[in-house]
Formats: sequence, C-alpha cells, structure tokens
Amino acid sequence: MLRVAFRLHASRLRPLRCFHFSARRFAQPDVLTSLEASPIVQAVSRRMRRRSELQSQLSETLNSPEDKDRMKQISMLEPLRNAWEEWENTRNLLKETTLLLEDPDPSMRSLAGEEYSELVSKLSTMAQEKFPSLLVPPSETSHLSAMIEIKAGVGGSESALFVSDMIRMYTAVAGHMGWKAVVTGKNENENGGMKDAVLEVKGEKAYDTLRWESGVHRVQRVPATETSGRVHTSTVAVLVLPLEEDSGQEVKDDLFTMDQVRIEVMRSRGAGGQHVNKTESAVRLTHIPTGITVSMQDERSQHQNRRKAFQVLRARLMDRKLSQETVDRRDMRRSLVKSADRSEKVRTYNYTQDRVTDHRLGMSIMNIDSVMDGEALQEFLTELGRKHQEELLEDAALS
Amino acid sequence: MATTLLRKQALSQLSRALGSEQATVELKWMLRSLEQPDRLVADSLSAMVARRVSGEPLQYILGTQPFGPLDLLTRPPVLIPRPETEDWAIRLAEFVKPTMRAPIQLLDLCTGSGCIPLLLCKTWPAGTVRARGIDISAEAIALAKDNAARCGIPSSSSKPTASHELTAAHNTFDALQADIRLPGFLASLKSSGIRPRFDVITSNPPYIPRDQYEQLPTSVKDYEDIRALLGDPDLLPPQGKKSLSDSGRGLTFYHDIAKLVAHEQEGLLTTKGILAVEVGEGQAKDVAAILKTEGGLQYTSIWTDPWNIERVVVASRK
Repeated sequence: MLRVAFRLHASRLRPLRCFHFSARRFAQPDVLTSLEASPIVQAVSRRMRRRSELQSQLSETLNSPEDKDRMKQISMLEPLRNAWEEWENTRNLLKETTLLLEDPDPSMRSLAGEEYSELVSKLSTMAQEKFPSLLVPPSETSHLSAMIEIKAGVGGSESALFVSDMIRMYTAVAGHMGWKAVVTGKNENENGGMKDAVLEVKGEKAYDTLRWESGVHRVQRVPATETSGRVHTSTVAVLVLPLEEDSGQEVKDDLFTMDQVRIEVMRSRGAGGQHVNKTESAVRLTHIPTGITVSMQDERSQHQNRRKAFQVLRARLMDRKLSQETVDRRDMRRSLVKSADRSEKVRTYNYTQDRVTDHRLGMSIMNIDSVMDGEALQEFLTELGRKHQEELLEDAALS
Repeated sequence: MATTLLRKQALSQLSRALGSEQATVELKWMLRSLEQPDRLVADSLSAMVARRVSGEPLQYILGTQPFGPLDLLTRPPVLIPRPETEDWAIRLAEFVKPTMRAPIQLLDLCTGSGCIPLLLCKTWPAGTVRARGIDISAEAIALAKDNAARCGIPSSSSKPTASHELTAAHNTFDALQADIRLPGFLASLKSSGIRPRFDVITSNPPYIPRDQYEQLPTSVKDYEDIRALLGDPDLLPPQGKKSLSDSGRGLTFYHDIAKLVAHEQEGLLTTKGILAVEVGEGQAKDVAAILKTEGGLQYTSIWTDPWNIERVVVASRK
C-alpha cells in the first residue's frame, strides 16, 4: 500500500499528459464501472448512504430513544463501513493508476500495469467475497438442534417402510456430520415400517443444515410385498423443527407464557388415585393465541409427556416465528421459501433408476445407496445451504 | 427383537384385554423396555403379554415407573406410584422452598416405594432436607431403600467418605419399618434416635373404603398390598379393634395422623409445620375437618388433581 501511495503522489505531477491519452483509455472496457454497477456494490453503497443519513439525524445530546436505535444501526454497519473505506481507497488508487498506464516512460507504464491488475483483483475479491459475507448477517439459528418429524403419506405400508429408511438415512448423515441423533418417538406398524417417527439431531448447525429437508419426499420402487413386480409411488412428509437445548426446566422465553397454554389430561381415570393403576399418561397442550395443539402419549408418566409436549410446542412456535421472519424478509417467489409451505415435493428417490433427484436444485445423484447411507445426502445438504446463502445475498442486494 | 408375527400376535392379545388404543401404547413400552441394554425384566415379549393379559399391572411387569424426574423400581405388592401423586409431589416441591440456611426435616407416613420423599429430596437443593419414610410393610421398606440407592439419595447414617466430609451438603433419606397406628409409635421413633419434630409431613395413606375395595379392578386388588389400599383396616376380619363412628368410609388413617400431630409441643409437626395428605375421591372435606378438629390444624387448603378431583389436603396451624 505504501508503495502505491508514493506513486500516487507522482501521478499528480502529470495530469495533462494523462488527459492527452484519455481517448485510448476510454476505449478499454471499464472494469471499475462494471464493478461499481454490480448489485452487491450498489447495495453496500446504499447502506453507506443510509448510514450517513442516520448520522445526520442524531441529535446533539445523543440520548433520545431514537438516537439509541440509530446508534445501534450505525454500529451494526461498522464492519461494512470499514470494508467500504478500504474499497474507496483502493478505487481511488485504481483511478490514479489507470492514468499512469499511459505514461510515456515505459518502466513506469509496466509498473503501473502490475499495480493495476493487483488493484482490480483486490476490488473484485471485495465485491465477490468480502461484501457478500458482510451483507448477509450471520445465521441466528446456527446453535439450534433439529427435531425431524417424519410421517408416512400416500402408499400405506410401503410408505411406512420408507419412513424407517429415512430415519436410518438421517441417523447416518448425523454420524457423518458429528451430530448426535436419537429416535425420541415412533409408532411402528406390524410390517417393520413406521407410521411416524421423531428424530432429534443435536449439534452445531444441525437445524441450519437440515431445515431444507422439510417437504414431501417421494419414493418410487417395487415394494418388498409386491408380487407382480410393479413399481409403486409413495410419499413421506418431513418436517424439520428448530430445537433449543433442553435445560430440563419449563423455561420461560419470548415464545409463550404459561398462561397462554392450556394443559389437559386426555382421559378420565374414574376415581383415580389408589383406585386405579392403569397407565394413562397422555397430555395435550393448547397454545391459545395460535391454536397450536400438541398431544403426547409416548411416555409412561404425565411429567415426561408434559415435558416432551412443551419441547414440541416450543419447537413449533420457534418454527412459526422463523418462517414468519423469512416471509417478512424476502420475496415469496423464491424457491426455497415456496418449499417452506411443506406440501411441496422436494425430492424423489427412484430405486429402479438408482437415482435421487432434488427438485429444488434440479440435481440428481445416480447412486441411491450412497444417499441413503448419508454420504451423498451431504452433497444435497451442502448445495441447499449454498442456494440459501445465495438467496439471502440476492435479498440483501435488493434491499 | 420381536418378529413381525410375534408383534402382531401380541397386539391382538393385548387389544382384547385392554382395548386397541391402550394396547398400542403398552406394547410400545414393552418393546422399549426389551430394547434397553440394562433392562430389569427377564421376560420375553410373549411372557410379558401373558402376564398383562392375566391382569398384572404393567408397572410390575416392566419393573419400573417414572415419577417426576425419578425412575423408580416397582415390586409387588408395594403400591405403584400414581400419576395423581406425581402431580402433587411436584407441586409440593415448588410450594415449599427449603434452603441451606434453613434445612428441613421431612416425614413421609405410609411411604411405600418412597416416591414422595425421594422426589422431594431429588428436587430440592442439596443439603436442604433430611427425609424419613415410615411403612408397616417390610417389602415397602426394602423397596424404598433400593429406590433411594437408585436415585442417588444416601441414608443419613451412611458413612461419609473423605470427599463427602468436605461437602457435607446432601439430602438424605431413611426408611424405617413401623406401625404408625400403634400407641407406642412416637416413643419408638424417639428410641431409634429420631427427634420426632418435622417441618413437613407428607402421606398417601390407604384410603379406599371397604365397600369400594371389593369393587376394585383385579390389577389393583389382586396384585397391590391391601395394607396400602384399604382405608378401613379395623374392619378386616381377624382383628377386632374398636371402630370409629365414620368407619367404612376409608378415613381411619386420617384420624391417626391427626392424633400424631395434635400436640403442638409434643406432636410430630413443628409449630410452623405443613402437613400434606393425599385423599380419595370425595374425602377431601371430611379429611380437612378431621385435621382441624382432631389435629388442631386450623388452616387447610385442598389441591385438585389434573383430572379435576380434590386430591390433597394441605394443613398447618398458622
């Protein structure tokens, strides 16, 4: 940087000559103009204008509530402002270096040429990497674990068999990712399938990575029970909910208050107490403001079912909050959001063609076992995560 | 692992006995306990189902029952912890707040599996409670001791190890076999070295009236100890003790408990102490009256269980 600064000084001594060669310079494609016109750089520039506005709106005393809010916004833009200053410095250097490209002294021209390409590459790195990383705020949900609810859909017992297959698939991928997966609830049917199951996946970024699994998964294969060899199409519905670490307490948080939740026991016990020793532990919670109900009867005690039911209620409310935030933030036409309506078919597992296709990515993997054993599923998860990041960036570039 | 066919068979047998909905959840719990690596049950699925179909309580077959944060052992004929008791024990754990600076003495009469004092010991902060459980049954005392060990609650007499001496803060539980109805009960407590003054007394005494006892489901009547259920023990055929005016209504033990706490200086309950007793359907108001008139506990309140039945009378002098 220092070296450049010195030569900048020199360039000011020769303004007229540069002017003389200006026609040739403009004939070249103007890298800087196209960089500056990129949506990302425009977005950063808009945020900087917004920052100046905020600063000019600050009162002298700096202690009104509005001031607090403005200061907060300003400080949140601080990392971006530092990058922007660097961008502007580099841009100014580039402008001046451009002039030197036409210097009559050949050695000066060659030095300027080197300098020029360094600066251009620095600017494009900033536009393509640094700005995007600063424009998209870091995920606020990266600490959350995931609760994967899987339900058999169309296709009866064949669909239930695929629920078991998917539980194995997600358990395997959790192993690859270093997460801990536990089946916390399941309703098995008589054929070794599951009508529904719940898998808890605990670990860093588990929810962020798995959340795009929500939706309808379609399986096409010849069922084990099918004698004629006909291919059946069945579906399984997956819902991935955000899960906070269970602290063991019915913690208070901003998702609900206890007086908003109606707790009901499910059946009459007659006289109850010593008169009855039948295990009736089912519990139902109703979150009155939203009408969300959670019924739980997996466990053998009231206390356990209640605790689990609260965990599910918290996950549902968190999911609702996150979806609402997503909708508030971005345009509904974008693909991942559309799939957030959860009735959309997201993936097809075609056994006869040995192929798994993700419909949102338009991407197929031609080895079904590698997906089902979790290895290749990671490719889909990575791509979906990348797509999400790209969409967030597009949003940021538009705002 | 049970085969598909075995499961199908198990489900249909259980369904005939329990109805399909209950059969489905109970089968799930049986399979789950068979899957556990450290399982207590030695039975196969078909043996479990046969026992269940013959009317044995599921909790005895599985060998455990979750109770609040605890996972308690269940063994015949000791009374199986009930969800109503779980509910009020959790509530009591929040209602009374002992601290290290003001630790309390707790007495549980008719302790059975030890569920109530063990839940309190587990829930309250370490070093805040010293609990005693009394029961007439040797099987209950043995089970309560096993449960204390299972829950990691030491006895007050257990020799502190070197590390414990430094951090003496433990909640302790001791189980003692005694008949609370005998006139010498208070004296026997003293002679076993227990200072008979308690800040909190809990009890889930037998409260089922004689006529209702005859109507109980077989899973209760044929498997659980009559001494934990029948609230009119004096009407048992061989013994012929004098009976109270309300005999036949299952209230005998409440009269006895009232007598034990009646004397403010000499009785079991400290001046500011709290008594919480579980009651049967329709007994709460009678029990509150007994505690007031015979026990001198002027302040009583009634707690309702999750099924909307008056289940607990909480009483104190002030």
